[in-house]
Amino acid sequence: MTTISPTMSHRQTEHQDSNPVPAPPPMRVAIIGAGRGGVALLDALHQIRTIQIVGIVDLNPSAPGLKRAQELKVPVYHEVADLITHQELNLVMDVTGDPAMESALRKTVPTGTDVVNGQTSRLLWLLVQHESTLQTELLHAEKLAGIGSFAAGIAHDMNNPLQLILGLAENLTDETDLEAVHLQAHDIIEAVKRTTAICRDLTSYSRRASLRQDCLMSINGKLDEALKIARYAVALQDIDIRKLYQPDVVVKGNPDELLHVFVNLITNAVQAMEHHGTLTLETTATADATQVRVTDTGSGISPELLGRIFDPFFTTKPPGKGTGLGLYNIKNVIHHMNGTIGVESQVGRGSTFTLIFPNETVAGERSAQS
Amino acid sequence: MSEFKSGFFVGGESCNGRVLVVDDEPDIRKVVRMTLHKAGYDVLEAENGEKAIETINYGENRLLLDVIICDIRMPKVNGIEAIAYFRQNYPRVPLIVLTGFPDTDMATSLLRQGVVDYLVKPVEGEKLKASVARAMEQRELAHL
Repeated sequence: MTTISPTMSHRQTEHQDSNPVPAPPPMRVAIIGAGRGGVALLDALHQIRTIQIVGIVDLNPSAPGLKRAQELKVPVYHEVADLITHQELNLVMDVTGDPAMESALRKTVPTGTDVVNGQTSRLLWLLVQHESTLQTELLHAEKLAGIGSFAAGIAHDMNNPLQLILGLAENLTDETDLEAVHLQAHDIIEAVKRTTAICRDLTSYSRRASLRQDCLMSINGKLDEALKIARYAVALQDIDIRKLYQPDVVVKGNPDELLHVFVNLITNAVQAMEHHGTLTLETTATADATQVRVTDTGSGISPELLGRIFDPFFTTKPPGKGTGLGLYNIKNVIHHMNGTIGVESQVGRGSTFTLIFPNETVAGERSAQS
Repeated sequence: MSEFKSGFFVGGESCNGRVLVVDDEPDIRKVVRMTLHKAGYDVLEAENGEKAIETINYGENRLLLDVIICDIRMPKVNGIEAIAYFRQNYPRVPLIVLTGFPDTDMATSLLRQGVVDYLVKPVEGEKLKASVARAMEQRELAHL
């Protein structure tokens, strides 16, 4: 029997299988048309390990899919022939909806390469869009399910100022010292402001992730915001929080979704420590990538479970305590941001989740902004 | 009728009893002190379970502390741990829980352990005073 040293560190990214079976060669796919359909296909297909997008082509140089392809490091072509010949393609996906393209492809696509076009192509696009809607709904459902665990934290933070307000108001009914009346009235106003801030934070967090376009945001700011929300779900008072922030680190994405990612990672980390330990939040930006690390000194994850933590509905929590969708949703959000997520863990020592976002798009946006 | 009188004298003034308020929120300690002070109690404060244990073990408090009002969710030593300590080491000192989170299971379990009252914030001054008065009666009975 093989035993694994408890101090041995194990790594896992969502790209690794727990069971290393030789992977079949990837399916080589070309996309014709870089309009809305092309963008949707790029976004969906680039997340699938067994698919390699060989390139995308569009005669319109300002087609949105070409910009997206550059962000995803997918080769961009301007001539259909350049893309579909000599590439050993398995599949050509024509999403132009142009009958002329359909007949042209029939003549030029080499034997052995399949072509998807016309209504089949449209059906695929609809399925991809539907899947994207489902993912958004799933993220929201999981977020709302998690808010149930905020009850204790919300009650604590609401009822404490309410106790102050009630106690002071009762005292004011027979307080004769005018200076004391003024001071206590001021304390009541401040306590009311604290309770309204709690409601504001939570309503903002619980809303559906906005559909607005991705934007550049401060990672450090989002981590701080997430800490504020996470403290409703888990007690942070006995956690030593270390922030190793590199200043002005930014990333492009949906702010609501990234906040949800950070709240989940922080909540998981604190739960792993059973409310005592050190939580380290670290951000770094190099020329190549922006990196976020969330480290806890908790129980760690055993190597047998490490390969499954990003799977949907996988949970080690008792029934009713966890949906098993937290890390799965995190993985999807990070993928939409073209990033990766990985974990290193030592049983009994703790875990580190590392998020890496490629820097190319951030640098491009920065120079465009400046 | 018992001859025992729990009250004592502080700075020449009559005192109905000595109460320890354990809560991590200074505002809560402030209003509880305000309410109970008006009702003639001497009020001590502790910001968590650890400080509360230090306080009860300090000097005359060991003998003269009459009632403990304790929050649950606190740093370091939390309310549950502190209450277990008090029940074991000071079983005659009545305990009142004053918490921000109403939890029926926890309330049942704490009342079974001998906690006098389980109050949920925000609690009115009259209700708090009545609860402390009941605890004082229990304290006096414990001295019989």
